[in-house]
Amino acid sequence: MIATRLFALTLALFSLTAHARAATLAEIVEGAKKEGSFRGQWGQNSFGGSEGFQELLAGMNRKYKINLKGQYTPGPDMQRLMLRIIQEATAGQPASTDVYLGNAQAIFDGLNAKLFTTMSYDKFIENQPKPEGKFHAIAPANTHVAFGTAVVGIQYNSQIIKGNDIPRRLSDALNPKWKGKIASTPYAAGLREFATPDFLGREKMIDYTKKLSKQIAGLMRCGESERITSGEFLMLVFTCGGNDVNVLKRTGAPVGHTVMEEGTVLHMRYAAIPKNSRSPNIGALLINYLMSAEGQELLWKHDGMDLHLFPGSQTKRELDGLRAAKGKIIINSPEWLATFKDYSSTQKELEAILRDGGK
Amino acid sequence: MKQAVLKSPAWFGARSHTSSALLSVAMIPMAVIFILVIVMFWISLQKGAFGTPSAIFTFANYHEVVSDPFVYRVVANTLLFTLTATFFALLFGLPIAWLVERTSIPGKTLVYAIMTLGLLIPGIYTAMGWTMIAHPRIGILNRWLVNLFDLSDAPINIATPIGMGFVQGLSLSALAFILTAQMFRAMNPTLEEAARVHGMNYPKIIRRVTLPLARPGIMAAVIYIFTIGIATFDIPAILGLGNRVYLLSTFIYLKVHPQGSGLPEYGITGVVGAFMIGVAALLTLWYSQVLRQGHRFEVVTGKGYKPALIDLGNWSLAAWGFIAGYAFISKLLPLLLIAYAALMPYFVPPSLETLGQLSLANFYGMDWHLAMRGLWNTAILVVVVPLVVLLLAFTISWLIVRSRSRIRYALEFGAFLPQALPEVILAIGALLLSLFVLGTSIPLYGSVWIIAIVYIVARLAFATRALNGSLLQIHRELEEAAFVAGLSNARTAWRVLFPLIRPTLFSVWIWSALLVYRELTAAVFLAVHDNITLPAVIWSYWYSGNINKASAVTLLMTLILAPLIFIAWWFGRRSQVSLN
Repeated sequence: MIATRLFALTLALFSLTAHARAATLAEIVEGAKKEGSFRGQWGQNSFGGSEGFQELLAGMNRKYKINLKGQYTPGPDMQRLMLRIIQEATAGQPASTDVYLGNAQAIFDGLNAKLFTTMSYDKFIENQPKPEGKFHAIAPANTHVAFGTAVVGIQYNSQIIKGNDIPRRLSDALNPKWKGKIASTPYAAGLREFATPDFLGREKMIDYTKKLSKQIAGLMRCGESERITSGEFLMLVFTCGGNDVNVLKRTGAPVGHTVMEEGTVLHMRYAAIPKNSRSPNIGALLINYLMSAEGQELLWKHDGMDLHLFPGSQTKRELDGLRAAKGKIIINSPEWLATFKDYSSTQKELEAILRDGGK
Repeated sequence: MKQAVLKSPAWFGARSHTSSALLSVAMIPMAVIFILVIVMFWISLQKGAFGTPSAIFTFANYHEVVSDPFVYRVVANTLLFTLTATFFALLFGLPIAWLVERTSIPGKTLVYAIMTLGLLIPGIYTAMGWTMIAHPRIGILNRWLVNLFDLSDAPINIATPIGMGFVQGLSLSALAFILTAQMFRAMNPTLEEAARVHGMNYPKIIRRVTLPLARPGIMAAVIYIFTIGIATFDIPAILGLGNRVYLLSTFIYLKVHPQGSGLPEYGITGVVGAFMIGVAALLTLWYSQVLRQGHRFEVVTGKGYKPALIDLGNWSLAAWGFIAGYAFISKLLPLLLIAYAALMPYFVPPSLETLGQLSLANFYGMDWHLAMRGLWNTAILVVVVPLVVLLLAFTISWLIVRSRSRIRYALEFGAFLPQALPEVILAIGALLLSLFVLGTSIPLYGSVWIIAIVYIVARLAFATRALNGSLLQIHRELEEAAFVAGLSNARTAWRVLFPLIRPTLFSVWIWSALLVYRELTAAVFLAVHDNITLPAVIWSYWYSGNINKASAVTLLMTLILAPLIFIAWWFGRRSQVSLN
C-alpha cells in the first residue's frame, strides 16, 4: 500500500516534471510585468494577512524594479483553501489565489489532484538553502517550495501558567490540575504526527489522545490565541507552530510557547502555483522573493517564522537548542506524508476522539 | 374578507392577464427555491469528490446519517436549543411589544430604536459578550457567584444548548417584538374594554382576554422564531463549536468544512438538508394553518379605529426598568465589548489595568482597501436586495391574497420554505450550482449577484408574511373602482395600493436592508474575491483569531449605519410611517 502511494505520487510528480516550464528569473520578471496584477488569498492570520501582503508586494516591486498591483482577500484556513482551489480547477474556474501558500497536508492533497504547475524553481530561485538529510526546500519535481518553518508545541497563558507549571513533557498536559481548563485543535495538530511510527506510534497516541480528550474543555483552531490570552483556555495542546505566539508576544500579550522534551514536529510552509492561476509568473516571483533575505525578514516580522534551513535564521536557533537537548525532530512534508498508509485514517480517528470527549 | 375575495370571480377573470404576468414574476423566486431544494436532494445522493467522475450515486449517505448516534445527539441539542431560544425571545419580545402597542408607556420611539439597533450587532458579539459574563472561567458573573457563595465550581455554563438558546433568544427577541407588536396593534380591544367595564383588573384581563385573543398570533410568532432557531448558525458556532456542543447548523458546517483531514462531505450535508427541508415543510404547513385560524379570532375593524391605551401610571418606571435591563444585556453590553475590543491590542477581560492599553492602533492597522471593497459590495446588496424582495414579495402576496387559484397555496408554501432552511444550505446549493452547473456560461461564481440571489430567497418569507397581512386589510373594491375609472394595472398599484400599504412596504424595505447589512452566513460560503461583504471581512478577522480588528470593523459598520437608521426614522415619522 505504501509502495502504491509512493509510486502514484512519484508518477504524478514525474509527469509534472516532464512539463516543467524552464525559465530564468529575467523571463519570469518579464512575464510578471505583462501579467501586471495578481490576487492573493490565504488566512488573515497567515503570513501577515492584509498587512503582510501589501509589504510583500511593495518589497517585490522594489527588488525587481517593477510596478505590480495586487489584491488580497482573506480566505479560509489552508486545508479548506486548497479544497476550494481543487474544486475551482475541476469546474474550470480560475483559482482563488494566484499562488498558494499553505501547509504540507494541503500540498499533498494538491499534488494528488495534479493541481500545481511546475516551474524551474531549482534554476531561478536565487537564494537556495542546502538540504537537510532527505529534506529539500525545493521539491525535486519543482512543484512546490518550502519557505517557512513552524515549530509545534504547547501554547499557554503566561500570566497564569508560570515556572514549574509550564509543561515540559507530553504527560504534563494530563496533570489533573488542568482538567477542564485546556484545549486542543479539532484537527489533532501535533497529535497526528506524534502518532506516526517515526515518533511515538499510533497506539500510544490513541491512548494519549483519549486521556487528553477527557482533560480538555474544548477545541480551538491554531491562531485563536485570544482564547488563551483571555483565559478561556489556559493551554493549547498542541499548536500548529509557535510562530503566532512570537508575533503576539511583541504586543505584550500574556502568552508563551513551549516545545516538548520528547521532540517536535516542524510544520513546513509551502508555496505552489495552481494550474488555474491567472498570474503564474507573479506567483513564481513571489516565491523567489519569499526565499530571499528580505522576504524571510518580512515573514519573521509578520508571521513569526522563517525557514530553518537558512543559516542564521531565528527558527534554526530555536531548533539548535532542542537538538542539543536530544529532542527528536521530524519534518512534516508532502513527501513524508506519502510514506504513511494510515496517516489520514489515524488523523480521522484522533479527530473523532477529540470531538466526542474520549468516549 | 377571504370569503369576499372568493366570491368575485368575474373581476378576477377580467384581470386574468394581470395575474398571468404577476404569476410569471412570482415563479422566478419559486423556480430558484425549487432548484436549490432539488440540488440539495441531488447532493444527498452523491458520495466522493463532488463534481469529479469519482462521485457516485448512492443511498449510503442516508444510511450513514441514520446509523450515527452522534447525529441523534446533535438533533436533541438542536431541539433543546431552539425551544430555549424561542422561549427567551418571547419572554422579552412579547411584553415589550405589548407595552409599546397597548399601554401609555413614554418614549416609544426609543423602544423601537433599541429593538432596531440591536439587529445591527452581529450575533458573534452577543455570544462573545456572554462568554465574558457567564463562561465558567472568565465569566464575570460566575466569578462573582463563586466568590459570594464560596463555590468550588462555576454555577453557570453558557456553552450548553440551554445557555446558547438563552443568548440566541436575546438576539431573536427583536424579531419576536416585531411579529407580536403588529398583532397587538391589529387586535380589537373591545373585549378588553368590556371586561374592564365588568370590573376585571388588568392582570385578569391579560390572562382571560388579551392572551387568548393573541394566541394565534403568538403561535404564529412561535413557529416563525422556532424555524429560525433551527437554522441559526452564528451563536452556536461561536459558543458551541469550541466547547464540543454541536447543533444541526454547526454539524453541517463541520461536514462542509472538515477541520482536518478529508474532503467536504456534501452528501451528508445534503441528507441533513433534506431532513431540514422536511421539517421546514411541516412547520410551514402548520404556520399556514395557524394563520388561517388566526383570521377567525380577528374582530378586525381596522379603519377609523383607535384602541384605548392602558395607563401604566407609576408602573411605567418598572416597565422601563425591564426594557432597560433587556437593552443592557442584549445590546449595550455587546456594543461596549466591541468598543473595548476595538481599542485593545489583544483580548483580555476588561479591568482597570487594561484600560491603560486602549489605543486606535487597530483602526490604523486595518486593511482599508479590503474594508472599502466589503462596504461597496454590502452597499450594492443593501440597495438591490430589499427592492427586489419588495417587488417579488408584493407580487406573491397579491396573488396569495387576491387569487382564487390553488396555486396560491403553493406560492405561500414556497415563499415560507426558505425561512426554515439554514442559509448554509441555500448557500451550498447556490455554490455548487454556480460552479458545476452554470459554470462559465452564466458567470455567477464569485460575483455579488450570487449572494444577492440567496439573500433575496431568504428574505422572501418575512416580506410576504408582512405584505399578506397588509393586503388582506385593503378591500378589493378600491382596486375595482380604480379599474372602472380606467387606471391601468400599474397605475392602480402605484396610486391606490402602494399608498395604502406604504407603512408595510417601508417596514419590509428597512428590515430587509438591515438584515442584509449584517448578514453573514451565505457571504462566508460564497465570497471569493470581488464579492466579499463587510460582515465577511469581520468574519475573516474573527475566524483568524484577530478579535480586535474584527471589533474595529464592526464598530465602524455600526457607526456608518446608525445615522442612516435615524434618518429613516425621521423620514418615517414625517410621512406617518411606522418602522413596524
